[in-house]
Formats: sequence, C-alpha cells, structure tokens
Amino acid sequence: MNLTKTSPHTSAATFSSSEPPLAKRIVTSTAFMIAVVVLILILIFGLLSPNGVFLGPTNFRNLALDSAQLILLAVGMTFLLGAGELDLSIGANVILSSVVAAKVITFMGGTPEEVLAGNYSNAGVAILLGLLAAMVTGTLFGIVNATLVNMLRVNSFIVTLAMMSVGSGVAYIITGGVNVSALPRELQRNFGSADLFGVVPIPALIAVLIGAIAWFVMTRLRFGTHTVGMGSSIRAAQRAGINVKLQRMKLFGIMGLIAGLVGFIDISRFLTTNIQGHQGDALAAIAAVVIGGTSLFGGRASVLGSMIAAIIPAILINGLVIMRVGSFYQLVVTGVILLIAVGIDQRRRAAPS
Amino acid sequence: MEKLLEADITEADDPGLESTAQPVIETRGITKSFGHVEALRGASLRAYPGEVLALIGDNGAGKSTLANVIAGVHASDGGELLLRGNSVDVASVRQARELGIEIVYQDLAQAPDLTVSQNFFFGRELLVRGFGRILGKLDEQSMRQRTKEAMTLLGAQVPSLTVPVSALSGGQRQAIAVARAVMWAKAAIIMDEPTAALGTKQTAMVYDAVRAAADRGLAVILVSHDIPKMIEFADRMAIMRHGAVVSQMPTDGLELVDVLTTMLTAQKDEA
Ligand SMILES: Nc1ncnc2c1ncn2[C@@H]1O[C@H](COP(=O)(O)OP(=O)(O)OP(=O)(O)O)[C@@H](O)[C@H]1O
Ligand SMILES: [Mg+2]
Repeated sequence: MNLTKTSPHTSAATFSSSEPPLAKRIVTSTAFMIAVVVLILILIFGLLSPNGVFLGPTNFRNLALDSAQLILLAVGMTFLLGAGELDLSIGANVILSSVVAAKVITFMGGTPEEVLAGNYSNAGVAILLGLLAAMVTGTLFGIVNATLVNMLRVNSFIVTLAMMSVGSGVAYIITGGVNVSALPRELQRNFGSADLFGVVPIPALIAVLIGAIAWFVMTRLRFGTHTVGMGSSIRAAQRAGINVKLQRMKLFGIMGLIAGLVGFIDISRFLTTNIQGHQGDALAAIAAVVIGGTSLFGGRASVLGSMIAAIIPAILINGLVIMRVGSFYQLVVTGVILLIAVGIDQRRRAAPS
Repeated sequence: MEKLLEADITEADDPGLESTAQPVIETRGITKSFGHVEALRGASLRAYPGEVLALIGDNGAGKSTLANVIAGVHASDGGELLLRGNSVDVASVRQARELGIEIVYQDLAQAPDLTVSQNFFFGRELLVRGFGRILGKLDEQSMRQRTKEAMTLLGAQVPSLTVPVSALSGGQRQAIAVARAVMWAKAAIIMDEPTAALGTKQTAMVYDAVRAAADRGLAVILVSHDIPKMIEFADRMAIMRHGAVVSQMPTDGLELVDVLTTMLTAQKDEA
C-alpha cells in the first residue's frame, strides 16, 4: 500500500520516476508483438514458397489488396469492441451496401441495353452516386443497429445477430437472389484494381488512411477516451455525464460507414456483388481486433494492433494457396485464428497489469 | 435522549451552529418514491461551508437516495434544494457538477481501464486550444499536471498517473475518487460510505482527505454506518429514519446510545 501521507515533493518524485520509457512501452505493446509475428509468418512463407514467390512484389501487392477490406472492417470493429459493443451484422451490411450501390450504378449508368452490354455511357456520375449510396446504406444500417440496441435495451450481440439475417434477407429481396454483375469496367480500372504510382493498390491506401485517422481519433481525441471509457464501465460513463446512447449511435454509424465503403470496394474489385459471400467477415474482423490487443469485453483498444493483425489471414491464405493447400482450409484457419485470439485475450486479462 | 429531543425541537434553527453562516446545501422536504416504496418522505437537512456533516441512519433509511437527489442522480418528486440560499433545479449529474456539487459513489463509479488522470477528467476532459479544440483533441499534459496537483494536495500517493486504476489498491482508488471530487467541487461533496471497503490505514487516509476538503471551505456530507467514528470525526450529524431527517445537531458531547435510540425509534413528527 502506497497510500501514505507524503510531502508534495516526494509524491511529485514518485509520479515521474515510474513512467516507463517510450522504447520499453513500444516493445512491450501488443501491436509491436503482432508486427513481429507478421514478419515471422512472412519469412516462413518466403522460405517455404517455391522460388520465394511469396516475397515477390506481385504477391505483396496482392497481400495489400486482399487485406484492405479486413483492415477497414477491423478498424471499425476496434471502436465497437473498445466500447463493449459488437457488430455481427457487418458482413450483411457489406453485401446490402454493395447491392444498393450496384443497383444505383446500373440504374444511373445508361440505358438497360448499354448496361447489359457492360457499356456504360454515364459511368463517372453513376460510380460516384454508387459510392455515395454504399456509404449512406452502410451508415443507416449501423444507425438502425444502434437504435435497436438503445430502444430494446438488449446487448448488441443479439441485435446484430438478428440484423445479420435481416440485412442479407433484404439483399436477396432486392436482387431476387441473382448477383448484380457486369458493372462498368471503369470502376475496376480506376479504383478497385488501380494502383498509386503503379505499386500501391488504392483500396489498401484507403485502408491505411482511414486507419491512421482512426488511430488519431482513438488515442488523441476525447471521442476515443469516451469510447473505451464506456467499454470499461458503462455506469461510470453515464455517471460522468456522457451520453452513451449517442456515443453508441456514432460508433455503430462509423462501423456502418466503413462496411458500406468495404461493400463498394468489393464491387469495384470484382465488378459484381457477392451476396453469398462475406459470412465470415464479422468473425474475421473480431479475431483481428482481439489479436491486435483490444479487449473482447471493452475498455482497451488498439487501432494499430487491429490493422497489423488484420493482415494475418491474407498472409496465411496467400501462403497456403502458393503452397497449393486447398482453399477450404481457409475456413479452418479463420476459426483457429479466432480461438487463438480469445485465448490470448483471456491470458491478458488474467495477467496482473 | 433528553438533549437530543431538545435538539430535535429546535432543529429548524440549527442550535449551536452558525446561525450567521448560510448553508451551502439545504434540502427542504424532499420526497422521492420508487414505485410504491417511499424512499424519502420530506427530508430536510443543511450543510455548512467548512464542515463535515455525518448522514447516518439504519439500512433503507434513505441516505443514499437523499445523497443521489442532491447530486442529480435521481430527480426528486417534491421538495426543494437550495444552493447557498437559492433554490436550484438539479436534473442531472452534469447539472449538479456545474453547480459545484460532487459525489463519490460507494462503488466509486470509476472506469477501471482508464488511467488515473483519465478518470479524473472523465466526461469533462480538457482540450487543447485552437483548431484541435474543434476536433476534441485532448490536452493530456494539462490533465496530468492538474491530477498530480490534486493528488498532492490531499497527500494521496499512487505509483503512476498513467496506469489504469484497476492496477491500484482499493485505498488508492478511493483516494483518487476523493481527490477528484475535491478538485472539481466548488460547493459541496457528498460521499456515500467512502470507507466501507477499506482497511484501517486506508480509512484513516480517506478521513484525512475528507477533512482537508472541508478545510478548503467545502461542505462535506458523509454517509456512514460508523457512528462512533462520526461522533468523533464529524462536526455535525443528521440522523435519518424512514425517509426523513429526524434529528440534526453538533456532535460535541453526543452519546452513542442517544444517537442509536434516535436512529432506531424517532418518529418524524417528533422533529
Ligand atoms: N433504485 C431504487 N429502486 C427501488 N427502490 C429503491 C431504489 N433505491 C432505493 N430504494 C429503496 O428506497 C429505500 C431507501 O434506500 P436507500 O438506498 O436510500 O437507503 P440507505 O439509507 O442508503 O440504506 P443503506 O444504509 O442500506 O445504504 C429503501 O427501501 C430502498 O429499497
Ligand atoms: Mg446507502
């Protein structure tokens, strides 16, 4: 017990002497350890892959492109988990947003005949409106989630589990179960598969940019403190005069906005919606976030850790593909990663701080 | 008993104490029901600047409810709350805080994962000047500095201001809660059983902090079950029973047995 009366001088000394130095804090941070794991994985696959193709620039470009969507989702999920919330419906949100965007693009792009031929007379405007539609849809989806959590006073696990079903159901209704395809090639050429300076995929660039903003918001702004504070103790947050319902609304809105953006990236990469896909998105994002150092139960959050951990599935999958291991193993790999993440989280929580 | 009843009769005039001073906090006939439970049935008390007022009473007497009404946690159903003689309407914790009234909850209501200084400023963070302010950019240095000053003022010591409070002992966390309340309070601090979970040494520490707060001119309302300690430590005592304050008097020369008798048998009408 240090709880003794001291002169101002001694307590001042106590405060400053025990702050750990920056270098030590970096090395012991989860983000740093995850970065080391990622490097080791890259090295292993580099050594194991035939002719070291894994380490080639093409593969790195693929890795960046393949991780971009998960990085984005993980960044959004970091805020939610940090706040003690959860969104299982992000996969459905991605699908619904992409469907709405694709519908807007085909509707605005030109005459039905032109669109059918994949020949859009009005591609530029249509694509911009599609982007807007995806972001609006995603955000609204998130706000519906938060409104339900606030109104029903049930936890977000249940609400978003239900909304997962609602979201993909609506996507099926809109499309009649048939993917919207033959989207304008400009979408892919100028965005989905485009590179900055011929090397950095635009989606990856967007992911890093948004991640950097999110990191700033989480660590430097009041918004971040209120987010993890609410996850740490919702009662304390309420007693501190924080409007937790409004905060929840913003957090789910941000997650939704990101899901909408991911939906747009999805159609711009593949020029078709993928209404059967994205079922593992929520779990993959949660796994990355937890591995990256965010507590599964709120209170602690690391945007940087999430971003680095979100590269792991792409590395494993690319690596396995290069080593000619069947793609069905991906599902197994994702599940195992999630289990490892939960195990790590438990250990962290048990460890004395 | 004799003496107490006398005090009861003249309660409205607050015998023996600052008939000249104005109470910082005064409640008049506060009522509050939870469904069919009448938690408060006309509770009236006064707390003066620079004094520690012990608020005692049996379990369920309404102490916490009264404390929470003053602090803006519960809205009262009826009655009046006066701050320095002016009737005020306190509808939320935030409003109470703006009036300079702070409360330390029995369970502290801290965010365990936040650091000491984050908890100090939780909900009213200091922001940088200029453009960053619009974004809500935190002024962490100032917050740390002011936290340090507030802790030093009470002689409370913690290993670091950047560790999460969950890493600290119960006494340290309590000291932080008290220091935080003292830092923000401009009028009064209410503490709901602040030492209930603490060991002897830590308890002594908290009492020192409470006294230091009162010495700075604040009115401190201390909810407690430790009556002998309150007779010795507090300046005045308010005894609650069945949702009303049945007696209010200075602690000088009070006998434990009289306090207990009042606490367990007094009727509101006697007051
Ligand atoms: N939120 C609530 N909902 C319903 N009833 C409540 C609530 N809070 C208090 N009560 C009731 O109001 C009465 C007064 O409770 P209060 O907590 O104010 O008593 P107390 O004097 O603080 O008791 P203790 O010494 O046990 O802390 C009790 O009968 C209690 O059951
Ligand atoms: Mg109580």
